[in-house]
Amino acid sequence: DIDDVGHKYYLELELEDVLDKGRTVSCTAEVLYHLGSKSSAPDVQATVQGELRSTQEADQEFYNRIRSLEKELVAENIPDSHGNVPPELEPIHLLAWAASGYVIWQNSTENTKFHLAQVKHVKQVKRTDEDLQFDYVLLLHEMVSQEVAPWEVTVLWHPQRGARV
Amino acid sequence: ANMKLILIFSALIGASLCLETFVGHQVLRIKTKNEEEVKQLQLLESLEHLELDFWINPSAPALPVDVRIPAVSVQSVKAFLESQGIEYSILIEDLQDVLDKEQQDMAESAQRQRSSTFDFGTYHTLDEINNELDHLASEYSFVEKIQIGESYEKRPLYVLKFSTGGSNRPAIWLDAGIHSREWVTQASAMWIANKIASDYGTDASITSLLDKMDLFLLPVANPDGFVYTHTSNRMWRKTRSKIPGSICVGVDPNRNWDAGFGGPGASNKPCSDSYHGPSANSEVEVKSVVDFIKNHGNFKAFLTLHSYSQLLMYPYGYKCTRPDDYAELESLGRAAASSIRSLYGTTFQVGTICKTIYQASGGSIDWSYDNGIKYSFAFELRDTGRYGFLLPANQIVPTATETWLGLKKIMEHV
Repeated sequence: DIDDVGHKYYLELELEDVLDKGRTVSCTAEVLYHLGSKSSAPDVQATVQGELRSTQEADQEFYNRIRSLEKELVAENIPDSHGNVPPELEPIHLLAWAASGYVIWQNSTENTKFHLAQVKHVKQVKRTDEDLQFDYVLLLHEMVSQEVAPWEVTVLWHPQRGARV
Repeated sequence: ANMKLILIFSALIGASLCLETFVGHQVLRIKTKNEEEVKQLQLLESLEHLELDFWINPSAPALPVDVRIPAVSVQSVKAFLESQGIEYSILIEDLQDVLDKEQQDMAESAQRQRSSTFDFGTYHTLDEINNELDHLASEYSFVEKIQIGESYEKRPLYVLKFSTGGSNRPAIWLDAGIHSREWVTQASAMWIANKIASDYGTDASITSLLDKMDLFLLPVANPDGFVYTHTSNRMWRKTRSKIPGSICVGVDPNRNWDAGFGGPGASNKPCSDSYHGPSANSEVEVKSVVDFIKNHGNFKAFLTLHSYSQLLMYPYGYKCTRPDDYAELESLGRAAASSIRSLYGTTFQVGTICKTIYQASGGSIDWSYDNGIKYSFAFELRDTGRYGFLLPANQIVPTATETWLGLKKIMEHV
């Protein structure tokens, strides 16, 4: 408790690579939830101890594949009702996860717990610059209220520049 | 000469089997760039001796042209297209291969239908589930399908009664799918039903359990919601009852029980996914279970399945104080979680609802506990958020199997 400021949490986390189970890396973080204000995101400082796996090759492959599509990519319901994700859409799914992380951070309080429930819709938007653009409709599930709400999220991505929401 | 012989031979076989054969037939997709090319294809179309079968006829440059070409003509048609600079790709290399595979698939499916095995490793519709309940009841003498009521939209609420005799023996209650979007729960309940039925007589633990007690299993506690998740909205949670004075539909059936009803952790707004309803037991799906259990009068355990989060919880949810039987329930919960973990390493957190998940009033296990049913537990099954409600079907059986170990642990103790 920090008087007149808010609540600060000190965290020691272990991150597991979903695509390479068994590979973990430690992380420390400080999260400050501001007093009272519902409109400001918590402050977060995080340090990763160790190295994250390089995904350069896969990133470049995905980038090239999408850039060479004649028609813009459009997809919906990822995963589908039965939990399936077609292999070629897996990177789109993973990008949605990253983007939802940002949205969740911006909307979290000490009394919320969000997860990405589903990518309802995604549409690629071709750009004249080097970024890939995807316009998503993401369904976020909030545990405490149990609400599943749609969010329109535009994501720019580039193999070297990373994701911007 | 050999080609001719093969052709005659297969034609004869085909004739004798009354089958037309498509060996070597290719389906091409042609992308025309302009009107000129469309005209060329229309010309090709007019050459009847080639016996070309256009699946999409040439009409306008923007649209693809799909055409099936008999084996004998494949090379010459491709040569023609290439000489004209017309782009094409091969959609199907050998049509007969595709047809053979299709026949195989259909035969296998028919085989499955005949032996009427319900695939426990996939998600099913309400009708498929109800058919399987009938199948289980007819196959096993100690399994009976009973109807305990009707949903808001008048669908029957079916419970499987497992009883090897006696009269009103002490009983265990197990339900799933009270929140319709939690699909792994209805699916697991079906696997569990089949497991209990088929293992009675061979598995020592199930046999001694059913020789002393009865088990009542409600696999789809919210059939209206369940159908809605199939037809309209996969993320639907509540019942489908009309709420007077609101355009929104449905009540959260796990906030509707008479236990701290209307208290913290439930919403009084009809449009909310945790709306508690106009009054306790307003939902017929809830009232039917309450009446059934009260009339029976001899239930010793009340177990309910939810997803997701991997939690094993006991009362209370409506208040944050410990139940009188805290020590015993905590210890039993831990033992059950341990059994679950022993199979695939899946970890479940154990504790009261309030401490483990959140304060929530009007919940089913709080009601059952306050009504004298000591062993009241709520499970939240896989996973912890990666797929959430959309758990891949290949995880159904592992989930059901590990969950069953936990349930068994509790039942053995009852």
